[in-house]
Amino acid sequence: MSFSKERDMIFDREALDCLPAVARFARSLTRNAAAADDLVQETFLLAYRGYDSFQQGADVKRWLFSICHHAWIRIAQREQRMVLAADDDCDAELETYAAVHGHAAAQRAGLDGFITSIDVAPAIAAAIDMLPSVYRTATLLVDVEGMSYDEAANVAGVPVGTIRSRLFRARRLLQEQLLEHARDAGIGIAMNHTSQDKQ
Amino acid sequence: MIIHDNQHLVQPIDCRTAVQRLWDYLDEELDAERYAEVTAHVESCRACAQHYDFARAFLDALSAAQPMASETGVLKSRVVAALRAEGFGQG
Repeated sequence: MSFSKERDMIFDREALDCLPAVARFARSLTRNAAAADDLVQETFLLAYRGYDSFQQGADVKRWLFSICHHAWIRIAQREQRMVLAADDDCDAELETYAAVHGHAAAQRAGLDGFITSIDVAPAIAAAIDMLPSVYRTATLLVDVEGMSYDEAANVAGVPVGTIRSRLFRARRLLQEQLLEHARDAGIGIAMNHTSQDKQ
Repeated sequence: MIIHDNQHLVQPIDCRTAVQRLWDYLDEELDAERYAEVTAHVESCRACAQHYDFARAFLDALSAAQPMASETGVLKSRVVAALRAEGFGQG
């Protein structure tokens, strides 16, 4: 078997196998089905061209995510759809305190049980879609794809401290958004009534 | 007071420190010593335990909200066709 044929077989087995995950990531980044498909195609073309430089045994999915993320930034910048700077002033520690204060407020309003009491998946998906891109990327990589801070920082091409503070802000924003959703839906009132009915 | 668990001598921490480490703890990004300190604190502090339980449920909900992989058969065909134009599968 020729070297290039063997290489293509490995690419097919290892890289193309990750296509559904890359497609999901691209869809989350672009929030547009057609743009996501274009981004996936671009990702795999770039990956194929650079496959000789990929170290066999390394995490191919993470490598593809990194290519996908960089391609998306390049496309978005070219189309002037994205401003990358000026949003890294968040402080990880303050964001954590804010999230805990948010929980305390939700407790007082009787909203804190809603996350486990109803199907919040559609609300979460909508809330993630509304996040500014850098925060959306951080929560997608860590919370949805299960990457470590180090791996996510590698994919996003930023320092670990940056991905950490972006992640914490993303979570705080998502939490606020979900609590707002629960409040709008009258969930706190409904839950209070339910708990009173049980007494 | 120093609490001793199976592997570590655990220094007591206050609620502020426990809260500060919330996400790092749940993401398993703390070293073993700090992790054990938080575990010991949360086991003995009801208020912090509630914050941790809520945050854990929140993270579980986030990961469960992962969008289902849509049908990617057509997309894969398109990608493979583009790759073939680059010489893929023709070695």
